[in-house]
Amino acid sequence: MTVTVLGISGSPHRHGNTETLLDSFLEGAQSAGATVEKVVLKDLDYQPCRGCNACHKTGNCIVKDDAIMLFDKILAADCIAIASPIYTMGITAELKGLIDRGQYLWARKFVLKTLFFTDEHIRRHKGFFVSTAGQNWDHVFDGAFPMITAIFNGTGFEYYDNIIANNMDEYKGIRNHPTAMKEAFEKGRNIVGIIEKISSADGASRPEKKSD
Amino acid sequence: MPIKVLAFAGSPRRHGNSETMLDWVLGSMVEDKDVTIEKIALSEANVHPCGGCNACEKLNKCIQRDGMDAVHDKLLAADIIILSAPIFCMGIAAQPKALIDRAQVFRSRKYVLKLPVVPPERKGKRLGVFIASAGQNWDHVFNAAVPSVKCFFHVIDVMDGDISYLMVNGVDEKGAVDKHPTARADATKLGKTVIAELKKRITP
Repeated sequence: MTVTVLGISGSPHRHGNTETLLDSFLEGAQSAGATVEKVVLKDLDYQPCRGCNACHKTGNCIVKDDAIMLFDKILAADCIAIASPIYTMGITAELKGLIDRGQYLWARKFVLKTLFFTDEHIRRHKGFFVSTAGQNWDHVFDGAFPMITAIFNGTGFEYYDNIIANNMDEYKGIRNHPTAMKEAFEKGRNIVGIIEKISSADGASRPEKKSD
Repeated sequence: MPIKVLAFAGSPRRHGNSETMLDWVLGSMVEDKDVTIEKIALSEANVHPCGGCNACEKLNKCIQRDGMDAVHDKLLAADIIILSAPIFCMGIAAQPKALIDRAQVFRSRKYVLKLPVVPPERKGKRLGVFIASAGQNWDHVFNAAVPSVKCFFHVIDVMDGDISYLMVNGVDEKGAVDKHPTARADATKLGKTVIAELKKRITP
């Protein structure tokens, strides 16, 4: 099997610190043989969630736009890396807009009970959060984690690891950070082997699912 | 002495739980003849997300021309600023987060350019209120929203101790807050308390 890795860049600012860090992760994954794709949220056309709760009845979102296409891609990937800079102690409005649109999956899981991810599935699907912040506070990422947890839970991914670097204002850019870029590359490279190993072990114990 | 209240209904769903609580707060304020209220529904305010360009650190203004132009001036003119918002997916909904992020222009003014946001004589005479509703009934459901909200108020010169909170969890479907045992009374009381506190601050 070829491991598929999807990177989602939630910054409105192209090729800034966070997207550069995400690129390093994706390059690492590619170097280990993964099929890699990057989606830039600002290039997509989607609306934030309207809070209409129609999905609580149907399991589907009434708004048909690029967000649905992206959730299909997320659900098809083995590994996702969700990237956002920290703005005002949280994730960007673009990424929050996307995460909120995942409400239809939450509705399928908890209201309609038509969607269920097995423990095996979750263990095989790895999620990373990639972020940078200007502030040097350690707690600057704390406001982001619960929302990232929410999208990983909703889409059946294990929240596997963070690739985060603060104090960008002082470093004057991610490339001046002593370890972050290398760490991102290595985490990208390593995760491919980890997913391959889990998948082959699962395949061996369940021969009837070999084609999966 | 006139008191200007600026209120944001931050939910994309009109007249849902967070906006209902906002209306209760405003309803208790409007009885005071000194109070003028402006309520803005963010879903109609055309405030786009921050582009992260950092131009405001040099220009002292945002390069985007949208509904934030008018909101910017109103935020400075108001004595009491109220933000209401629902919690979606453990955080403040995307639309009010966009407003909060667009306050970056005030942060640049205050901390980068070291310019006043409001005139010195108005400092300590501005109050903030954050109203939030959440479907989940977990106590920690508001934790991620509060730091962003604090930043929003700090950069517009509302001090940490001058922010009041009305956060009600366990209300999801439209109208759920009507059945909440204390929300309405708390909102009414909060409105009166905030007006009384502001009067105390502005009375010479």
